[in-house]
Amino acid sequence: MSMKKINASTLFKHAMLIALCFLAVFPLYWMINTSFKTEGEVFSASLWPKHWTFDNYIQAWNSIPMARMIGNSMLVAISQTAAQLLTSILAAYAFTRWNFRGSSIIYGLIGLTWLVPFQVIMIPNYVVISNLGWKDTLTGLIVPNIVSAFAVMQLYNAFKAFPKTLIEAARLDGASDWSVLWCTIVPNLKASISSIGILLFITSWNDYFWPLLVTNKLEHSTMQKGLQMFMSSDANMWGPLMAATTIASLPVLIIYLLLQRQIIDSFVKGGLR
Amino acid sequence: MNYDTTTSPVLPNSKTGSKPREKQRKALRIRMSGIKPYLYLLPVVLSLGFWVYRPLVQTFQLSFYEWNLLPTSPKTYVGWQNFENLLTLPEMGNALKNTLIYTIGVIPFSLILPLLIAIFTDNIGKRSRNVYRALIFIPMIMAPVAVSSVWRWIMHPTNGILNQALQYFGLDEPIRFFTDERWAIYSITFITGWKLIGFSTLIFSAAMTGINKEYYEAAKIDRANRWQIIRHITLPLLSPSILFMSMLSILFASEWSFSYINVLTQGGPLGSTTNIYYLLWQYGFQTFAVGWSSAAAVVLFIGFGLIALGFMKLSKRLSFFDD
Repeated sequence: MSMKKINASTLFKHAMLIALCFLAVFPLYWMINTSFKTEGEVFSASLWPKHWTFDNYIQAWNSIPMARMIGNSMLVAISQTAAQLLTSILAAYAFTRWNFRGSSIIYGLIGLTWLVPFQVIMIPNYVVISNLGWKDTLTGLIVPNIVSAFAVMQLYNAFKAFPKTLIEAARLDGASDWSVLWCTIVPNLKASISSIGILLFITSWNDYFWPLLVTNKLEHSTMQKGLQMFMSSDANMWGPLMAATTIASLPVLIIYLLLQRQIIDSFVKGGLR
Repeated sequence: MNYDTTTSPVLPNSKTGSKPREKQRKALRIRMSGIKPYLYLLPVVLSLGFWVYRPLVQTFQLSFYEWNLLPTSPKTYVGWQNFENLLTLPEMGNALKNTLIYTIGVIPFSLILPLLIAIFTDNIGKRSRNVYRALIFIPMIMAPVAVSSVWRWIMHPTNGILNQALQYFGLDEPIRFFTDERWAIYSITFITGWKLIGFSTLIFSAAMTGINKEYYEAAKIDRANRWQIIRHITLPLLSPSILFMSMLSILFASEWSFSYINVLTQGGPLGSTTNIYYLLWQYGFQTFAVGWSSAAAVVLFIGFGLIALGFMKLSKRLSFFDD
């Protein structure tokens, strides 16, 4: 008797999930679909381009300094990720390796920064950046973001789970604290560190607030800001706009395609921001 | 992770050396190593101190001044006047009302639907689950600007696929999703929620798989029906995740909508999509009323902190469900 019932309920489950997947994926599909359509076909609802064309990509590429902005975005995202990983590895090591006065207060203060919305602190930070003459520079984009409280907390959890006996063994072999960190702990935690790094890279690549404030000229800006400017410049170039959007999303999509399981796991474990 | 715990025997620390000189040297080493943790923490502490706590204090200071962001113009002390102005500004009431709409409007996407989906799709085959997971998660990794761009195209009044589809199903006049003041705020809320729905579904599914199945067996033996099981077993055991997602959603929903507002509507039409975060931005960088912006930021930050504190208290009280 239960055979049919089980089938009906599994069918229902799958239907529900397929609907959700459709909702999640459709915009992505529609973006790519539109980006390959010819000018005449863009406005039709065809589910697949009849005549594939790269014209939209060429047009988008030529109307804004795309290569320059992708380069900027790459440089900013890579240096931010590297700096954030480095600073948080050092901090997580300090918290897990030693007992010292004030450690829980410092950890608390780091965690609390999570509660400070960007918009609350943007004006003083903007003033500092413009006084330093860092507006429209990559330095101005990178330096305020060399630390991620999220990365400190995530790495702290990973470091805490690291077996103390291994550290002690290295110490007995005469390794200094510095080399215990870089020769014993970091190589063994490569997997967690790199998945946190991927998350940091995606966050940094997608960031829009700070470039919006700090940069004015497209040549000094990141891809996200450039895309927004492109959007507001010409309202009806849907083909090129979707091509530009595809390009702006491509690095993250490629990373996701290769490493989706790790990315999902670390997002679910670590939360947002 | 590939560390191997079996190869490292724990050796007891040899406690020798009671000679005074050795003691001195040891004391020095201890004092030296006393500084060490602080040295390792220095970059993080300095950077967060300078880029988060310094500006936070300055925002509090600026809220008592009148200033137009120009380095050459003077800051005038005005006391509590900025805060008094906030109460009388007409945009403020509107922005607060909209903040509330965003916060409540996102809840179906961040809590209700994901919970339902997670509960009803438990026990699905592992391979198909992985495929669903990978697809559902895509909105989460896409950049807010890219998301805005795509939805703007999909929801375009005359040429967008959504209006074409709706007209096919009998809608008379196309909906101007972003330029009609009755629709705009709901369009932005939908996009904010759309980005979240997969993420929270996965959070709840992960929590579901953590539930010990023996509870269900026991409940079935006691002849509990499906609703009773959900009400008395599933929901209480999920309460830590529910609380976590409610906190994220309530605290950050309107902050997340900022990018969509800025890219898609700029707070319009007729101020119908402005929320408190966008107002801070407009005061600060469009009307250059730094004092107003800072005062609003202070109020926002305090409200924010109180809500977070409430949630932390609540989660402590509920934490016995964790076991």
